[in-house]
Amino acid sequence: MPFAETPLRDEYAAAVEHLARRTLDALHDDAAPPPEAPGADRPLLAAARVLGPDLFAPRLLAGAGPDGPTAALLAEARRTLPPPAAPSAGAALVIAWQDWAAGRLLARTPYGDGAPMPPAPPAPGESGWQTWSVRMSQLSGLALPGLDGPVHDSARTHALSLARGTVRALLRRDQTTAARLARWLAWTDAEGLAPRLEVAPVLDRIRLAGDGSARTALGLAIAHRLLAAPGGGRPAP
Amino acid sequence: MTDTHVLGTAQRLGSRALSWLHAAHRDGLGRIPDNTLIDFADADNAYKPLGEVALAASLVLRDGVSGPADTRTARELLDGCWAQLREGDLLYERQLHHFTMTDPLETYGHFARAGYRHPRLEELLDSLARLRAAHAEEIRPNRRLGVANARRVVGLDHRPDWEALALGTWLGARPEPWAVNWMTGYDITHTVFHLTDWGARPDGLPEPMRDYVRDWLPVWLDVWAEVGQWDLVAELLVVDACCGEPTTGRQGWDALAAVQHEDGLLPRDSDPVDGDRERVFLDHQHTAVVAVVAGDVTLARALRATAAG
Repeated sequence: MPFAETPLRDEYAAAVEHLARRTLDALHDDAAPPPEAPGADRPLLAAARVLGPDLFAPRLLAGAGPDGPTAALLAEARRTLPPPAAPSAGAALVIAWQDWAAGRLLARTPYGDGAPMPPAPPAPGESGWQTWSVRMSQLSGLALPGLDGPVHDSARTHALSLARGTVRALLRRDQTTAARLARWLAWTDAEGLAPRLEVAPVLDRIRLAGDGSARTALGLAIAHRLLAAPGGGRPAP
Repeated sequence: MTDTHVLGTAQRLGSRALSWLHAAHRDGLGRIPDNTLIDFADADNAYKPLGEVALAASLVLRDGVSGPADTRTARELLDGCWAQLREGDLLYERQLHHFTMTDPLETYGHFARAGYRHPRLEELLDSLARLRAAHAEEIRPNRRLGVANARRVVGLDHRPDWEALALGTWLGARPEPWAVNWMTGYDITHTVFHLTDWGARPDGLPEPMRDYVRDWLPVWLDVWAEVGQWDLVAELLVVDACCGEPTTGRQGWDALAAVQHEDGLLPRDSDPVDGDRERVFLDHQHTAVVAVVAGDVTLARALRATAAG
């Protein structure tokens, strides 16, 4: 991959975009992302760690389980790269939940490593709906079919706080947070729970006014797919 | 039940803003110049602010939830403003010559609420209401509600289609809540003010609109408090008290209390407060009015709820 001679941070960001684009293409084709060449380099592994469960989105949204090559890549990323350092207890909780989600999906493959379930995040009543919704946006990677737990219960229970967080993010021109929360809204819709905010206009607004990155586009595409398939958010019986 | 911390803050904030307005008026700020002609072109610069002060003071008297000192202050402010309007003659002359204008009626409504009457103006308004022209003026839909409410307060014979008027506003359309901006924020607050007659008729706000406001008010308050738009924050707190049990909690009140000056001035936004005293008064008098109203309607609502409970 042509990542040479760029500063390290740009190189990693480019790898995330590359992998998000491949996953997005796969999502449109209803397929697993094509396997990367064996012996993935460090930026690609870092990107796999960043995207985590989203790497499986094309398969999960098509009603299939995690595929072997993608699982191998994610497992390799988790084996070689430590979890990122957490600047705060809240951030540590987010990382722990992202890790749990990746572990849950890998547990359905030969690469399972069974990450323990972290404590439930604080409810809006404890932290305020603003803080709660920002944390939920950071956990939007969990909004996928086949994952369920206390974070998902929190999304089901606090539909209005999700909607308020989305509106707040849009008014603050924070399209990234808005996109992630809109994905949760779409997920609750797929669960058969009517969101407290119309989701389609929000997705369209972010498509036009957002950062245009492949990663945001992937999140939006996942949200669209969740919206298009009411009940599709539940695991197949 | 409303948090007692909120009620304490609301009472102090409103009372101090009322004192600030009173001190300014006592010292002659905001007066209509003696040589002003009746036919002045720009109502905003002349008696609109007087009408706004009258609004705040009339609500203090209407709701009766303030202490004796604030009640006396409110009465003195109304007396002073009414005298400047030459006991309503100025409104009458303006309405007579510019008979499709609505601001004389809107201003008069605040005085009439507190018992200041001008029979010739009322006769004129009654006559004008029978003209198709009076209803043909192309004004903003929330302003149309203001006119309808003023007619109701004055007691003029009128039967507006409140529901149709309400549905014609931004709020009536219940748009995507993230589409609101600073201007439409004020459209929303004013629609609620007039439909509920400043909190006295909470049921005047149609239920779907009330549910919509209660869903999104905490978000709007949060984003405008973050950027220090204190005038709009105070208006949103008025709205909160006009729609039933408040939904926004302490956030807005604590933010306003933190920026109110020792003398009661409440800055309209986060820009520096500077200039001579008159400039400062002109810039921030509207926010003081809103603060008085916010404190008053919040206390009045809590008291009604306690009485009903």
